Amino acid sequence: MGSYIIKRLMLSIPLVLIISFVTFAFIHLSPMDPAEVVLHSQGIPTITDELLAQTRAKLGMDQPFLTRYLNWVASCLQLDFGDSYITGKPVWSMLGPAFLHTVKLTLISSFAIVALSIVLGVACALNAGKWVDKSVRGVSFFLTSMPSYWLAALLIWYFSVKLDLLPTSGMESYKSYILPVVVITISYAGIYFRIIRSSMLSNMNEDYVLYARACGLPEKKITMHILRNSLQVAISVFCMAIPIILGSTVVVENIFAWPGLGTLSVKSILSRDFPIIQAYVLVLAVVFILFNTVSDIINAALKPKIRDGL
Amino acid sequence: MTRNMGFLLKTFMVSIVLLVGCSNGDTEKTKSADTGKEIVYATSKDINDMNPHFYSGSMPAQGMVYESLVENTEEGIKPSLAESWEVSEDGKVYTFHLRKNVTFHDGELFNAEAVKKNIEAVQSNASKHSWIKLSTKIVACNVLDEYTVELVLSEPYYPTLVELSMTRPYVFISPKNFVNGGTKDGVNGYNGTGPYKLTEHKVDQYAVFEANENYWGGAPKVKKITAKVLPAGETTFLALQKGEVNFVFTDDRGANSLDVEAMNQFVESGEHQMIQSQPMNTGIVVANSSKSESPVHEKAVREAFWHAIDRETISKQIFEGTEQAAYTLFSSNVNYANVELEKRGYDLEKAKKILEEAGWVIGNAGEFRTKNGKPLAMKLYYDVNSSTQKTQAELIQNTVKRIGVQLEIIGEESSSIANRRSTGDYDLLFNQTWGLAYDPQSTIAAFTSKSSYYHTTRGIAQADELYKKIEDVMVSTNEEHRKSLYADILTIVHKEAVFIPITNGRVTILAPKNLQGISFKQTQFELPFERMYFE
Amino acid sequence: MKRLQNVWKDKVAVLSLSIITVTTMAGIFAPFVAPHDPAEVHMELRFASASWEYLLGNDHLGRCVLSRLIYAIRPSMLWVFVALLLSVFIGSIVGVLAGYFRGKTDAFLMRVCDVVLSFPGYVMILAIIGILGVGFENLIIAFVLMKWAWFARIIRTSVMQYTESDYVKFAKAIGSSNMAIMIRHIVPVALPDIAVISSSSFGSMILQISGFSFLGLGIQAPEAEWGMMLNEARDVMFSRPEFMLAPGLTIVIVVSAINYLSDALQVALDPKLMTSTYKQQGLEAASTVKLEGKGVA
Repeated sequence: MGSYIIKRLMLSIPLVLIISFVTFAFIHLSPMDPAEVVLHSQGIPTITDELLAQTRAKLGMDQPFLTRYLNWVASCLQLDFGDSYITGKPVWSMLGPAFLHTVKLTLISSFAIVALSIVLGVACALNAGKWVDKSVRGVSFFLTSMPSYWLAALLIWYFSVKLDLLPTSGMESYKSYILPVVVITISYAGIYFRIIRSSMLSNMNEDYVLYARACGLPEKKITMHILRNSLQVAISVFCMAIPIILGSTVVVENIFAWPGLGTLSVKSILSRDFPIIQAYVLVLAVVFILFNTVSDIINAALKPKIRDGL
Repeated sequence: MTRNMGFLLKTFMVSIVLLVGCSNGDTEKTKSADTGKEIVYATSKDINDMNPHFYSGSMPAQGMVYESLVENTEEGIKPSLAESWEVSEDGKVYTFHLRKNVTFHDGELFNAEAVKKNIEAVQSNASKHSWIKLSTKIVACNVLDEYTVELVLSEPYYPTLVELSMTRPYVFISPKNFVNGGTKDGVNGYNGTGPYKLTEHKVDQYAVFEANENYWGGAPKVKKITAKVLPAGETTFLALQKGEVNFVFTDDRGANSLDVEAMNQFVESGEHQMIQSQPMNTGIVVANSSKSESPVHEKAVREAFWHAIDRETISKQIFEGTEQAAYTLFSSNVNYANVELEKRGYDLEKAKKILEEAGWVIGNAGEFRTKNGKPLAMKLYYDVNSSTQKTQAELIQNTVKRIGVQLEIIGEESSSIANRRSTGDYDLLFNQTWGLAYDPQSTIAAFTSKSSYYHTTRGIAQADELYKKIEDVMVSTNEEHRKSLYADILTIVHKEAVFIPITNGRVTILAPKNLQGISFKQTQFELPFERMYFE
Repeated sequence: MKRLQNVWKDKVAVLSLSIITVTTMAGIFAPFVAPHDPAEVHMELRFASASWEYLLGNDHLGRCVLSRLIYAIRPSMLWVFVALLLSVFIGSIVGVLAGYFRGKTDAFLMRVCDVVLSFPGYVMILAIIGILGVGFENLIIAFVLMKWAWFARIIRTSVMQYTESDYVKFAKAIGSSNMAIMIRHIVPVALPDIAVISSSSFGSMILQISGFSFLGLGIQAPEAEWGMMLNEARDVMFSRPEFMLAPGLTIVIVVSAINYLSDALQVALDPKLMTSTYKQQGLEAASTVKLEGKGVA
């Protein structure tokens, strides 16, 4: 197991390197001169060539590309992503809190998705073909075909405006979590519950179930066995769901004015605040790789066969 | 294996509980705004850096916390932190007698020394402030005694007092908040002398201002003002409806977070009142005359564009009559702006003719014009947080299409648009003149400033002449001469059609019905919150 | 094709297919179907409610909502389809090459895919729009750039089964060129798989792209697009909620139809497609791949 973990970790290092390089190159693809932008962001009206050269030197832009890359990596490791073009504040001071807010939303939503998917998945698999199964699948099918922002708008309209039960936006109390979590859960649970259901169903047709039945094991025990095996699938799937949700809360955050990464990134794109976009991409990509690695390791722990495959 | 899974699940659940736990840390203000005592206003952007000598902070917020030596009012320059002042014969030395017993929010005494330190802090970062011409004229700031200070200029400069009255940069922060002996490396606190002090700031969520009980002008009656960050549009609408905020106003970029219709709806429902200032500024489309690769470089194109804007419809349908159509850069009640200028109205036939004569030809109806194979295509940038700007942009896009002009409209955050204006990376963009206190002198001075309208004016035929005249008018001491120079300047930019006026803008406030004493300043950038009170 | 006949027996599938066909036709022939010019501004009809002349009312510029809804089919559905075809096309080339040649080619191409897949898709699309600027073309480019690897991954697995088959071995033995074998023997049999895979992500792609337009990062005015129409309706969401209905319902109906048809196709063509992917690829790859494709807007 130990050697698998090491191997898997080693594999993710080149990925992180490639990603860091791509994100670094990214800012140089932008059509703006960073030095000029920095000066403008400080509100300096008249930009002289002298001042420009000075700022370039200060930003280390007169050095060769590779040196700059290495310097950049070194400062990124210390969470120093430079300053925002627009506010002039350090990027991390803006990204850090936003990241935390998005992580909170993501983890709570993931938990809700896990719970809902398992309950529904198991219920449907055990009653496959009956009305419970059919109606749950029908409703979930309909819900996954809905644009999440539309769903969010409808929920806000009903629960916040009509019934005046929940806040419309922002992140002020536990109540603020309810609607965004519900929207994310509805959008994703439909997919994950299908995975659980089908994995339960395929487990039911496995030889060991037949064998257990033949041996006369009580149906309850057999179900527990099936459930246990299916849950493995569930766990590995959810490990991967977390980074995906983390990266795609953009729309939901936007409509609920959630002070998270999604809101920040859209704002930054619309104000062409490249250092923030850059740091956002880098941080999320690294988190994404990290989660994938961890979930692979968990999978391997659950299924020894995969370990040998590598 | 089962143990493994159980462990995983447990860890997961524990972490969730912990997270929810910490999120409760910043739980408080769920309660809706207590309309009896406090103001909670909606703002689409965080108040940002409150350093009064920088430009990224929110101006209405800075206006509450910091004050200047003098104040610009309808009746002219009035005392503020300076009780009185004298100007020397030659116009080069200004002596200010400061108000006594004024303290900063941290208890520091406001005196001549503090004035000197602040002015020097501004001057030491001169390159940042060169848009305000006074910063290039100040030679020294001397302390004469505890409450007397003199400002020495290199040459007489007539808008000195006006520029000293502006929201920034010549306002005062406690010298105790200086970092490295100045403010250009940042400050470690935000203690001004103003009626409100900043007591809490959660970035991108809210900022709380509490009344300064020791304010020299008497403690303000509204004890607490909260600036709540909310996206414009429906979120603000709902927050107002639910009482999470109770006050909205036109922000310092000229954008309203609600459109007129939504505001009217609130007024009709009886809980709110809508108050509008007198016309304060002119909403304009700025054309980048120096962008030689774009058709906007050509005067004829700009003129045709001017003729293709249906201002009456914009005024009537989009602003529901609250803003009047504007045909000149400054309305005639602005100082020095009562100049006879040709009125270019909404006239598509004329616009077509102008383009035709300039060599922009059209193939088939419904197509776009070209000249030497180059299409007549331009980009217009608008503030993505302003729904009225967006609607205007869409309407203009539609009308110019009828004269064969292809207009791409792009919504961006206001800071990005400001960046475009200063780097010259635009064809056309929405903007506004700076308001009564700044018009015309500061807005016109900004014609030459790179951070403002340099790119707008650089490409016109008489650019050098224009710049010369602007330089002259600022130092001219003869009223008649000044008048004629301003007339020339306004005529040049009008003829060249680089500032295309749309409507005369106002500051609009939507407030609780029982809030009294709502008034305006001579600038769209600040509101006198200290004069408001609840009944 | 016999398998497809099963689809015909499913009434809902037939209904779905007719919805899709009608929508597609309406989109293609929008100028003949739409009652008005979608860009025609009538400021005096701003926010007018439904009338006989304007069946679904008028928007904030007094434009005909119904006509805009019809014209919006082009970017919202047809262009998304083009983007899908493009990414499937690139993915197929890579997938077929990797699955057919195996060995080093496979290893190299799959590493490239791994790298692309290891970027969080949504975030990278945002990043690409960040560099290229907002706009529909850029959005489509970003989608194609991020999606092809996913298709390549799955198509490779499916191609690998066929490469092992006897007739391919036979063709190799009689000296057919690799190119010829791929075109004549591999692509035709892999086609149903490819169809199922791509149809299953069509629905979610429509949702995602309209989501970006909703955020203002996609299509720009005056073009009509469903997400963008919802964005416009959002400004008046509470004073005139009815404007949210038409574009929202249109999306739900079209996406439901596509998803249903895709499921039906999958059952008809290869009920075991997904299961077989699981077994050959190991769990992790398959599920990443599946999730990545099913991201929700």
